[in-house]
Amino acid sequence: MSKKEKELQAAKAAQEAKYAAAAAPYTPTAEDFTWIGSDASSREAIARPSISFWHDAMRRLFKNKVAIVCMFVLVAIILMAIFVPMFSPFTYNEQHVTHGNAPMFTVCEDTGHMHLCGTDNLGRDLFVRLWEGARVSLTIAFVAVIVNCVVGLTYGGVSGYFGGWVDNIMMRIVEVINGIPYMIVVILLMMILKPGMGAIIIAYSLVGWTGMARLVRGQIVGLKEQEFVIAAKAMGAKPSRIITKHLLPNILSVVIVNITLSIPGVIFSEAFLSFIGLGVPIPMSSWGTLANDAILVFRTYPMQLFLPSICICLTMLGFNLLGDALRDAFDPKLRR
Amino acid sequence: MADVLKIEDLHVSFDTYAGEVHAVRGVSLHVEEGEVLAIVGESGCGKSVTAQTIMKLNPMPPARIKQGKIDLCGKDIVAASEKEMQDIRGRLVSMIFQDPMTCLNPTMKVGKQLTEAIREHRKLSTDEAKKEAVRLLEMVQIPNAPERAEQYPHEYSGGMRQRAMIAMAMSCEPKLLIADEPTTALDVTIQAQIMQLMAKVREETGTAIILITHDLGVVANLADRVAVMYAGKIVETGTAEDIFYRPKHPYTQALLRSLPTVDTDRSEKLVSIAGTPPDLFSPPAGCEFASRCEHCMKVCKKHVPPTYSFGELHKAACWRLHPDFPGQQKEGK
Amino acid sequence: MARYVGKRVLYAFLTIVVLAALTFFMMHLLPGDPFIGEKAVDESTLEMLRARYGLDKPVWQQFLNYMINVFRGDLGVSTQYKRPVLTIIAESFPYSFELGIRALIFASVAGVLLGILAAVKRGTAWDTGSMLVAMIGVSVPSFIVGALLQYFLGLKLFQWTGMRIFPITGWDTELSKLLPAFALSFSTMASLSRLMRSSTLDVLSSDYVKTAKAKGLSQGKIVRRHVVRNAIMPIVTVLGPQAAAILTGAFVVEKIFNIPGMGRFFVNSINSRDYTLIAGTTLFYGAFLVIANLVVDLLYGVIDPRIRLAGRKE
Repeated sequence: MSKKEKELQAAKAAQEAKYAAAAAPYTPTAEDFTWIGSDASSREAIARPSISFWHDAMRRLFKNKVAIVCMFVLVAIILMAIFVPMFSPFTYNEQHVTHGNAPMFTVCEDTGHMHLCGTDNLGRDLFVRLWEGARVSLTIAFVAVIVNCVVGLTYGGVSGYFGGWVDNIMMRIVEVINGIPYMIVVILLMMILKPGMGAIIIAYSLVGWTGMARLVRGQIVGLKEQEFVIAAKAMGAKPSRIITKHLLPNILSVVIVNITLSIPGVIFSEAFLSFIGLGVPIPMSSWGTLANDAILVFRTYPMQLFLPSICICLTMLGFNLLGDALRDAFDPKLRR
Repeated sequence: MADVLKIEDLHVSFDTYAGEVHAVRGVSLHVEEGEVLAIVGESGCGKSVTAQTIMKLNPMPPARIKQGKIDLCGKDIVAASEKEMQDIRGRLVSMIFQDPMTCLNPTMKVGKQLTEAIREHRKLSTDEAKKEAVRLLEMVQIPNAPERAEQYPHEYSGGMRQRAMIAMAMSCEPKLLIADEPTTALDVTIQAQIMQLMAKVREETGTAIILITHDLGVVANLADRVAVMYAGKIVETGTAEDIFYRPKHPYTQALLRSLPTVDTDRSEKLVSIAGTPPDLFSPPAGCEFASRCEHCMKVCKKHVPPTYSFGELHKAACWRLHPDFPGQQKEGK
Repeated sequence: MARYVGKRVLYAFLTIVVLAALTFFMMHLLPGDPFIGEKAVDESTLEMLRARYGLDKPVWQQFLNYMINVFRGDLGVSTQYKRPVLTIIAESFPYSFELGIRALIFASVAGVLLGILAAVKRGTAWDTGSMLVAMIGVSVPSFIVGALLQYFLGLKLFQWTGMRIFPITGWDTELSKLLPAFALSFSTMASLSRLMRSSTLDVLSSDYVKTAKAKGLSQGKIVRRHVVRNAIMPIVTVLGPQAAAILTGAFVVEKIFNIPGMGRFFVNSINSRDYTLIAGTTLFYGAFLVIANLVVDLLYGVIDPRIRLAGRKE
């Protein structure tokens, strides 16, 4: 008999004993009939330990294996992006024309160092370009998302908190902006702006905040009607206190999830823009420009396309999975 | 009379990620043909779970029938497969729910939802089923039934939706109708209409009804028998007169005292029951009501009280009914 | 209903006007002069050209002229191809449209089915599997999917088996249309299936599904009659934005698979700074999407009786 079966049988026996005890009538003694009355301390007793929302959410997040792997991969990518360009023997725009399009693990004739990921058609080291590109792509993603978050929170917060005609006008504006396909606006803006990282961030930020604004507004409008906010108001809390103590903490989880899930969107947009020739200018590298350059030669040198593609996919996958895991961890419906 | 439904020692648990919640812990009850049984209790006492288990409507998992027997018109529900349950649901037993606003499919015409129920169990053509649907709507006193059948649920008022639900539940003339808090979500004036309608339906079709409610006032006129539930158990059961005029269990007594009547003198205070029911996550060792009971004794905290019978139908589970109970002691300090 | 339609049409019209204004001012703001190219042009010729294109008039008058021209269907002449922009669009759009429609239909059908499957079989291997596919779909950009498909199915499969099953590029046979359409649809299919899964789960836990179950309907009948129609509503609302995603996604897919569609002209016009072509195609894309959104909105009204009847009562 396996250990598990034994345990199961023991549990069954214990349960049967319990039911038998419950079924057999107990004969009370006179002592037993002493009156004690209702018990104010235990009648309101809460049987389960109270766990704070954040504590509970974090506990659930760290129990999720997928989330742990994602965090590990993302931290690794970020660390590589920070340190590889710092310690690499090559720089991202250094050309070794004699051995362009070299395969992986080629030793450089000029310096004697190894090109871990080979070189591109101009003989630039792809490994360092890959991580230099990671810097560019990730910086764009983080800055754009933070800008969107700040603008969206403020706009949505103001619109939702004040309501009425303010809300009406502000939301109509958002509706019109949303009516125009965002990629087309970004492309138009990219034409006017001076090419570079800043341009991509500005172009994306000018249209990207509407999603966050709508989300925040929706949350605030919902929360405003809730009793605890009305109660706080009735007790004379100032708007600043209501916003910081009652509204913000309650939308924080939604905002965090949204931020995590919008990072892949920016990474995709950057790659997309680079791919159609509107990315960071030559000779800078980003994952999108690397992929775009590789498309011309990828039938003969597929590795040049696969490497940035793998990076783009891994990062997007990591943030998407992490965002899903965060949403599951924060979802109060799962709290029991 | 024959029993339509007989439940013996039913235990139902929910497996949550935090552990097992014992929602129903040893419920035994029976319903005779054409009889109205009211199950009364606070929210969360397991009355809805019991009702849904009769039809196996609660999703399993997380719900689980741990032990017990359910016999519905000779069919063993606990052992029945999903396929057998599909034949039983709607034909032998049907159910109406608390919130008529969300119980009808918003994108399907009411008439269509009715014919769907009819055609599932009765061999009728589309036209016959349509006529039958209109007849059912007329039975539940919906004016302009033929026109109304062609409308969507959002064009109905709350009371009308609940009528439509009743019509739908009665479409195959089931032996048993389970009404889970049918009036809770409705206005007081509509509540009375719905209760009258249910009385009428019972008279016309002879169906037995299980009426689940947390409001003793609702059951007074309609119920033949009443079962009072507390923390997953039936603490007292008896005829409506027994429960209203000769309550034995302190919980029933407390419930009745919390009920206002027209005769209540203004100087008399309504008494509320202090505290909350125990968490079924870890039920207490003795009597579940002990910590809120003003008559609580030492034994109540340690041992589950046995059930005592008074006559054929009246039963209650309380240590104060023990033959050795020395009588009312001086209570208070 | 008429009022609902009227309001939607008005909104769509306004958005197109805003878009036209945006394109006009973008063109106006652009650094440089469209007539200063590689060749040296003398001042008098420039004056003449400016007068011919109306660039010597004040800005507001230029704008007015531009708007009038736009609504007459005159989008100017491409500086790169020396042909009217509208002609280029008329020639290339059918390719893009066919590609987009194929991708959109495949994405919606497959996405909806996958989502329902995952929700109904929640917690099983079916659920995990289809959601894994969906997760990969939303995380892999279409140009990578396209390039990978082209490399492995177009190039490698030919090298390994010697049979040319999928042509590497082009848009003529059914098989040649398969890879680009799939590459374009993958991410849309993935996000639709995720959305469909969650909305199906919502509907499955609703009270009216419980009512249907209490009637004695089987799981299959419940899903077919009660769940699908209600769960599909959120899908319809995102079809507009998803159509936009497919249309913009077509830029890169057309480039990879060398399809003579509008996307390729658009990308080329960006690379060669052919401003009239950019403005024309942008405006066309914008208007197309706004109208697509309008159609989706109206479709939603048809599907959901609550909206349809609320409109009727007004």
